[in-house]
Amino acid sequence: MALRQLRTKKVRTLLILLGISIGVAAVVGVTSLGEGIRVNAVDEIQKSHDLTLIEVSPGLSSENIILITESKVRAVREYGSVVAPFVKDAYVTQNKTYFEVNGISTEYMDAKDIKLEAGVWFEEGTYQIVLGSDIWEKFTKIEGAEIGNAIDARIRLYGEEGRAVDKDITFMIIGRLAPTGTQADDQAFIDINMAKKLAEKDVYDGIMVKVDKSSQAPAARAGIERLDLTCFSAQDEIDSINRIMNGVTLILGFFSGISLIVGGVMIINTMIVSVYERTREIGIAKSIGASELDIIRMFLSECIIIGILGGILGDMVGIAFSFLIDRVGKPLLITQLGIGEIEHLTLINMDILIAGFMISLIISVLSGIYPAWRAAKLDPVKALRQL
Amino acid sequence: MWMVETRALSKSYLFGSGNQVVALNDVNLTVANGEFVSIMGPSGSGKSTLLNIVGCLDKPTAGNVYINETKIDYGKAGHLVQLHRQTMGFIFQGFNLISTMNALENVWYPMYFNRVPKLERKKRAEALLESVGLKDRALHLPSELSGGEQQRVAIARALANHPRLILADEPTGNIDSRTGRMIIDLMKKLNKEQGITFIVTTHDMVMANNADRVITITDGEIVD
Repeated sequence: MALRQLRTKKVRTLLILLGISIGVAAVVGVTSLGEGIRVNAVDEIQKSHDLTLIEVSPGLSSENIILITESKVRAVREYGSVVAPFVKDAYVTQNKTYFEVNGISTEYMDAKDIKLEAGVWFEEGTYQIVLGSDIWEKFTKIEGAEIGNAIDARIRLYGEEGRAVDKDITFMIIGRLAPTGTQADDQAFIDINMAKKLAEKDVYDGIMVKVDKSSQAPAARAGIERLDLTCFSAQDEIDSINRIMNGVTLILGFFSGISLIVGGVMIINTMIVSVYERTREIGIAKSIGASELDIIRMFLSECIIIGILGGILGDMVGIAFSFLIDRVGKPLLITQLGIGEIEHLTLINMDILIAGFMISLIISVLSGIYPAWRAAKLDPVKALRQL
Repeated sequence: MWMVETRALSKSYLFGSGNQVVALNDVNLTVANGEFVSIMGPSGSGKSTLLNIVGCLDKPTAGNVYINETKIDYGKAGHLVQLHRQTMGFIFQGFNLISTMNALENVWYPMYFNRVPKLERKKRAEALLESVGLKDRALHLPSELSGGEQQRVAIARALANHPRLILADEPTGNIDSRTGRMIIDLMKKLNKEQGITFIVTTHDMVMANNADRVITITDGEIVD
C-alpha cells in the first residue's frame, strides 16, 4: 500500500531519498575518517609501546600512600610472568648534574628489554653503574666521563625529623645503553640492593610487570589495582586517544548530520503536501472503516520505507564518500604533514553503517509523525467534500 | 425492529462571526430493518447532514441516534470505526473511489481495514464485482471507467463487509438517467434479496418512486 504511493510519486520520492542519503553519507564519511584516524593512532602506539608491560607505582588513597612492600611484591608476582621491583632516587654530581638512579634486578632488564651498547652490566653487590644514552652524553660532556671512570655523587636523605642528611658515594661507570627513545635514556642503573642500602629504603618505588600476551594485561592490571596500587600502561594512552577521537568524531558527525535536518524538513514538507493531496482519500478511508491509527500507520509506513531506502542508499554513498576522502586525503596528509605509512585514512565498520541506517530510519519516522497525525485528525465530512 | 432511530436530533454550526446556522432541528426519524427510505428536499435542507450523522461521519449537537437499537456514542472513536467496518456502507454522489487503485482494490479496501485475510478479501471482491456486472473491469482504474461503472464499483465496495445498512448520498446525481435507472434497480435488488436497509438522499423522482417511503426535509425539519 505504502509502496504504491511512493511509486506513483517517483520523482518526489527520489528527491527525498537523495536528501536523506546525502545526509547519511556525510555522517558515514566523516565518522569513517574519525575512525580511521583513531585506528591509525592506536596502531602507532601499539607499534612503539609494549602493551604487555604494566608499570606499578605506590597507590594513593584519600588518606595515605600505599607503599610497595615486600609482601605487595609477592602478591603482584601472581599477575605477571616477569615481576621486577625497582627503586628510584635522584643523585647529584659535584658539578651539580642531577641524574636519576634506578636500582634494578636482572628481571627488570628482561621486562623493559634494554640493551647494552658498550661495556658490561653491573655486578651485584658493587657500586658499578650503567648509564642511559642521554645521561652518558651529558656525563661525557660535563664530567669528561668514560667507561671505567669513577664518578662522585651525593644523595640527600631526610631523617626522622625531616632533617636533611647528605651521603656521598662513588659509582663506577661500567656500561652504557643503546638509545631506546624512552625514559630509560635519561636513567642510570645500579644493583637494586645497593640502591636500597644507599637510600636507606625498605620499600620499592615501583614494579615492572610483564605479562605474556597483551590480552592478559587488563586482567593483570585489574588484579594489581585490587591491591590498592596504581598502574600505568600504554593502554592508558590508547584509552585517552579513544576518548578524544570518539569525542571529535561525535562532534564532526553531529555537524555533518545537520544536513540530515534538511532531509527531515523535506520529508515533513512532502508529507504535508501529500496529506493535502490525499485529503479526499483519507476521508474515504475513514468512511469505510479506517481508524485514526490505520491512517497514521498508512503515512508512517511510507516514512519507514523512505527511511530504509534512504539508509541503504546513504550507507552506499557514504562508503563511496569515505573512499574518496581516503583517496584524496591520504596523499595530501603524506605530503603536507609528512605522515607516512598510513594504509587507510578512513575506516568503515559495521557500527558506522548500522548507525547511518538507524539515523535515516529515525529521522524519517520522526518527520512523518506530525503529517500523519494531521491526516488522522481530518474531519471526514470536510475531507469527502473536497474535490 | 428499527434499524435506525433518531431522537430529537439537532445539528447547528456556529460561525466565527457569531452566526448560528441550524442544519437539523429536532429530527425524529425511524427506519425499519429492511426498509428502503428515500429522503428528498432542496439543497441545503439538511438531508446530507442527517445522512452524515447517521453514518457517524459527523456528530450531532443534540439528540441521539440508535442503530440496531444501540445508542451511538459519538465520543468513542473505536465504536464509530466498528460501525463503519461492520454495520454500514456508503455510496456517494461523486463515487469517491480511490484514483490510484483499480476497481478490485477499491472493493477490497474496506475489508483490509476490517482485517479480512488477504485471500478471502480478494475472493469476495471478485465475487462482488461480478455481481454488479464488472468482472471484466476489475483491473481498471476509476479514470478508465464510466460514471455508471464507477458507481457500481462503489456499490460493490459498500457491500464488502456485509453491511446491514447502506447510506447513499444522491447516488444517481452524477450519472445520466438511463444509467441511473440501472443503479436504482441494483440497489432495489440488494434491498429485496439481501434485506439490506437503504437510506438514500435524492432529487431523482424515479428513485423516490421506488422507495418504500419518502421523507421530505426542509430547513432541517421533517415535513411529512
